[in-house]
This record gives sequence, structure tokens and C-alpha cells, in this order.
Amino acid sequence: MIDWQPYANPQYFVVLLAALVPLIIGLYHGRRLHIYETLASLLFIVMMFTGTKWHEGFALIGYVVFQVALVQGYARYRQTHNGTAVFVLAVLASIAPLAVVKLTPAIAVHPSILGFLGISYLTFKSVQCVMELRDGTIKRLPALSFLRFLLFMPTISSGPIDRYRRFEADYAQVPTQAAYVEMLGRALRYLFTGFVYKYLLGYVFGTLLLPQVAHAALVRGGLSWPLVGYMYTYSMYLFFDFAGYSLFAVAISLVMGIDTPMNFNRPFLAGNIKDFWNRWHMSLSFWFRDFVFMRVTFFIMKHKLIKNRIRVSQVAYLINFLVMGFWHGVTWYYIVYGLFHAGAIIINDLWLRYKKRHKAQLPHNRWTQALAIFITFNVVCFSFLIFSGFLDQLWFSPMHH
Amino acid sequence: MKRRLWQLFGPLVCAGVLVLGVLLAPLPLGRLSDSAVASAALSMSPNVLAGARAKNQALSRDYVPFFGSSELSRLDPFHPAVLAAKYHRSYRPFLVGAAGTQSLTHFLTDQSMLKQLRHKKAVFIVSMQWFTRRGQDPRAFDFFYSPLETVTWLLAAKNTVADRYAARRLLTMRAPSKDAQLHGALLTVAAGQPLGDTARQLLRTRLQMLKNEDELFSRFGVNAHEREVAAGEKLLPNQATNSQLDALAEQAGVTHTRSNQLGIDDTFYRTRLANGRMAKLAGSQKHFDYRFGPEYSDFQLLLSQFAKHDIDVQFIIPPINAKWAAYTGLSQAKYAQAVEKLKTQLKGQGFKRVLDLSQDGGQPYFMQDTIHIGWRGWVKVDKVVAPFLDGKRQPVHYMLNDHFFTKSWRQAVVGG
Repeated sequence: MIDWQPYANPQYFVVLLAALVPLIIGLYHGRRLHIYETLASLLFIVMMFTGTKWHEGFALIGYVVFQVALVQGYARYRQTHNGTAVFVLAVLASIAPLAVVKLTPAIAVHPSILGFLGISYLTFKSVQCVMELRDGTIKRLPALSFLRFLLFMPTISSGPIDRYRRFEADYAQVPTQAAYVEMLGRALRYLFTGFVYKYLLGYVFGTLLLPQVAHAALVRGGLSWPLVGYMYTYSMYLFFDFAGYSLFAVAISLVMGIDTPMNFNRPFLAGNIKDFWNRWHMSLSFWFRDFVFMRVTFFIMKHKLIKNRIRVSQVAYLINFLVMGFWHGVTWYYIVYGLFHAGAIIINDLWLRYKKRHKAQLPHNRWTQALAIFITFNVVCFSFLIFSGFLDQLWFSPMHH
Repeated sequence: MKRRLWQLFGPLVCAGVLVLGVLLAPLPLGRLSDSAVASAALSMSPNVLAGARAKNQALSRDYVPFFGSSELSRLDPFHPAVLAAKYHRSYRPFLVGAAGTQSLTHFLTDQSMLKQLRHKKAVFIVSMQWFTRRGQDPRAFDFFYSPLETVTWLLAAKNTVADRYAARRLLTMRAPSKDAQLHGALLTVAAGQPLGDTARQLLRTRLQMLKNEDELFSRFGVNAHEREVAAGEKLLPNQATNSQLDALAEQAGVTHTRSNQLGIDDTFYRTRLANGRMAKLAGSQKHFDYRFGPEYSDFQLLLSQFAKHDIDVQFIIPPINAKWAAYTGLSQAKYAQAVEKLKTQLKGQGFKRVLDLSQDGGQPYFMQDTIHIGWRGWVKVDKVVAPFLDGKRQPVHYMLNDHFFTKSWRQAVVGG
């Protein structure tokens, strides 16, 4: 039996790529095999939720029916009306299942029966459609197109988070043969980079090293060198595992003729925190920028809640990262992680402003740039130590031996 | 367009062909250098134990397998490997085992050696500490798990009580169950069915890949212990009788156990027991019981292998440091019963060479620490093992009994 979890092992790729061969031949000859693509995608999605995960499959079906009804309903309403209350209700309803799933572990022993692998990423897509319908940037939203976008197989479990209009444009238009061959070339490169990231480096950091430093840090307890080791090892693992996964998702999208946006752009070379969020889990941070940060900023300015523009963006950052923290899960460490990044980006903003004012006095050369990268890297790694939940284990559930 | 396709995918095709070639072509099996074999024999590294190449090449020279577990790593000057090297014995020990290897792991580890061991000799140090209620520690099993040896065994497995039992036991472990191909084959063998032709062919292909992996990579990660052996050799006189060695061993014991009253090696005591850790351990083994559990049947797997291949095996049952046992509250009566049960299993089936040291735990400097034989213990082992291995091979008469694979034996109490 092969493991049908997306990109879990090399066999999965063999089976997946073999199943995509008719599609590849079709696209190469300038045709998109709609029905075959739909059936193959559905098969792989169904297989994800077989075995012990069958109840997640039912949760997925229920979720999709609900979201389609909601978004279609709102789309129809929006053609003739534009009430704010209805819009707010639609957004809240769209988020509701995810909120239940995220809140359940905080109050109950068992995970919510509404949950399934990928619910977060589907919610991002759905909420985005509601918001863009409100904006009027999406005018028509046929149910089938929405479904196709929502359930796009390569990215269903963990993104990257695409945008409806971009996706639909790709889908409607078949690339030329030359362009498609280049897409396949990129897909190949991403696949193999992904293999190195996830199966080699991710394995070394996550499977070989991480348990060892974790054990050493737990044995010492408190603040120790092994804890520092854990921080860097975990950060490397997190990056290579997730970046590897994202490369796979983008590569398979490309094979299917869809240019899904990239998720990472050498994040550890970021010169400051703002730059970091333009390089790390980009599809998520851009989603938050467009649908949380910007909206909050406009809302505050429109209603003149805060006069000072600097204060406005600070508050918006705080809300933005708090929401992101809660989205990761309702535990103290995810929320602290969110607050930490909000704090970091606010401080970064202050610093950039200070720097602008004192341009003449402050040196700027490759050494200061290197120092900036070094500081950013360490701040980020520290935030990942919070994010990892390891401190929770270390402080609040000490090991018994 | 063809040119562009070739530019993009040519390297992939070439790489694929190369990888398949390296994995599937029967590679010419180069001869390992003597020093590489000597190093592997002392390494006790997982990849040496789980591989086949080093073991096979060693057995085709003058090496004899010494099966055991953590005591093998006590490379003091009186360790069998040091004595064999110093006194130019006709044999060299190949150390098969490390902390965590128990019967089930050994059962797999020796698969690739059985052909060469036929009609030959081996030494087996069996620890009573393996015989817990739970038996083989699953994590340790996974650590030493060898797909190569498992496939070797599966291809030779028959519909016997032993093979069905082995398949069932392996299915309770994580590593072989996670492997879809092996999991299926194990289920077939456990059900007493023959493997299909396709399954066999696929297993043979897999075996070739694993052998090639072993050829290519088993040379890496071999722990070097030559220095410890060389250092030990320097401390030994050029000629010595067994009783002279015993006196030397006693001296060595005296100088290495100054920090505590239990006769435990100073380094071991300092790193594992000192700094208040002793207090927690008082009475900590009151409930230890080695009389029952799956290990007895797992051990029977080994005995059937040895019998079927006509291997003359010297078994050694090491003692437990008596002061340590008293301090931790280990029940001597239950321990004695466990030893008795094991000996019944051995002798009842014609395994007559059993060196029972279980009553020697109170002798000074016999143990290097808590449960590991050392100094004078090794000398006493040598007194029996050296003549056995140097002497001519004697005929053996084994009478296997499948009763030892039953639950009633695993639960049985033997002796008073």
C-alpha cells in the first residue's frame, strides 16, 4: 500500500505523475482534458481520506457543500445589493467551520469532527472570494469554477494559497507548447530541489538531529545550550520541510498547466522582518496583507479611529499577527509567536523611520547588511522556538524519568 | 522543441538510468582489506550488524561470531577480542551485538551468516535482562533493523512453527510493518502460505538493491575501536596462564573501582550513578522479573537456526553484580529461576555448552559495572571459550522442540 498523503514519500510521486501523463500529453498538444483532470484530481483527493481518515473525508464534503452554497448565495446577492451587514455575516459564516476546528482543542479533549487536512487553506480561498465579490473585483463566480479553484488537488492540503482570478485565467488559457515545455522544466527543477529540501535536509534536521537536541534540552531543563541547538535545528527543519512541500505543490501545479505562486524566496537572507515576511510563506503573508492588514488599515482610517498614521499601521500589524497566531492554533505559544512578530515588525518600522531621519550619520555597507541579515535570522529563529511549542513541553510538562 | 525537451529532461533520464544501474546491477564484490574487516569486527555499528558484506568476508577468514549485547563493548584488556589479538589465537572474535540487541534482532542479524556458519562454531552471550515481560524493546529493534536480513530470511522461510512465529513477531515491530512489500510477505508467511512467484521475484530484486546499498555504503559509519584493543594489548604480558591473567584482572579491577563500594568502574559510576542518582535507585528493581515473556520463544528462534545449520555454540550466561542486585532489590530467587528456565530450554534440546556464571556476581572484580561482565569475568570466559574455539570441532546432537514456541512455555515457572 502506498501512502496517499500528499507528497509523503517517493512512491506517491511515481503514482501521481503516472496518473497525470494523459494530461501532460494533452497540454503539450494544446488541449486541456477537463474531464480527465477532474476525475484524476478527485481520485487523489478521495484516496487522501481513505482508511482511518474516512471521517475527515465526510467533513470535507460537508464543508465544501456549505462553502459553495454560502459563496454562491453571496455572489447572487451581491449582483443586486451591497449591504455591509450581509457581507460581514458571509465572512463570519465562511470562517465559522475553521474557527470551530481551531477552538475545539482549547476546550475539549477530542478534535472537532468538522476538521480535515487542508481546512485552513480552503477557508483562505473561500474568504478571499467573498471579499473580492464585495470589492467587485470578482463579478461572476460560476459554481464549477469556484469548486475547481477551491479543490485544486496539488495545493489542497497546505497551499500555496492561490487567488481566484489568477487561477481562473491560467485555467481558461492553455499555454503554448514552448511555454508549457518551459513550465515542465521548472516543474522538474522544483521537484528535485524539493526532494533535496524535504527528503534530505528536512530528514537530517527533523528526523536525525531534532530528537537528539530535544532530548538533550529536556534532560538539562531550563535555558541551556541544547535549547539553543533546538532553536536552530527546528528552524532549519521547519524551512526545509515546508519549502520542500511547497515546491512539490508548485511543481505539480505547473505539470497541470497552472502557475501556482511560490511560497518561499530565500527567507533567511531577509535584511529585516518586513523583508522576511515578503520571503517566508509568501502566499499566506500576502493573503494576510491583502485581507487583514489592508482592510484593518482602511477601516481605521475611514472611521478615523486613530489619527496618527504610524499608530494606525502599528495597530494593524498587531491585529494582523494576532489573527495569524490564532489561526495557527489556540495555544499560548502560537499567540505569543504572533505577538512577537507584531512587536518585531513594529520595532523594525520605528527603526526604518529613525534610519531615514539619520541617513547621514548611519553607515550603510555590506557589513551592516550582513549584520542586518544575521540579526533578522536570529530573531526569526527565536520566534520559531516559540512557535515549535517546545518551550511548553520544557516548562509546563517536564519529562519524568 | 525536441532539442529543448532533451536539454530539460536528458539529465533526468541519464540520472535515472545510472541510479537503477547502480542499484540493480550485480556489482563486483570487492574484497575488503584485512584492516577493514578487523575494524568491522570490533565496530558493533548498526550498519555493520545490519549489513552482510563485512560479516560474510570476516567469516570466510578466521573470525568467529560473538553474539551478545552491551557487555561486548566493555573492551578492557581481558575482553575476548584483546586476548585473541595479543596471544595470536587461531580465531578472532567478530562482535555481533550492542546495547539493545536481543534475540529477535540476532535472529535477523545472523540470516546472511548462516550458510557460512554451517558445521562451524559460535559464541553467544545471553543476558537475562533481555527476558522482560515485554521482550524485545521495539525502539531498539527499529534501530538495528535490517531489511536486507529480513528479505534474506523471507526468501528462505518455510511453513514451520518457527517461521510462522518469527513472522508474527516481526509483524509486531514497527520498522518491518511500515514497509509495504515486507509487510505483505510477512503476513503470507505468518499465515503459513507460500510466497507467490511475483512476490519472490520482487523480493529478489529488492535483495539485490539492498546488497548493492550494503556494498556501497556499509563502509561508512564504522565505529573504530582498534585503539582500545591496542591499548589493552599493551597492558598484557607476552605470555600468561589463565590464573596469571586472573591475578592481573584483579589488579585492574582494584585500580578502576576506587570511587564506590559496589565494585563498579569509576567512569561508569561517575557518569551514570554519581551525583545523587544512586539514592533514587535503591530498591528500584524490586519488581524486575525475568522469568516470563516473548523473549523465551524469540530465543528459541535462534536455537532452531543453530540446530538446523549444525552450529556448535558456546552459551554464556553472565551474572549480575551481587552488591548492585542487593542495593536495587532484585530478587535473587526469581533471577535464579529465570536462569534455570533458560538452561532447561538449552540443555533439553542438546545445547550442552552452557557456561553458567549467574552465581559469580559476588566475586570481586568479576563485573565491570552493574550487569556487564569485565576483568575477571572475561578471564573466566576465556578459560572456557579459548579451548573451545582453538580445539577441533566436535559433533553435536540437537533435538528441537516446538513446545518452546508456545505460550505455556513462555508462562512456565521452572525450578524451586
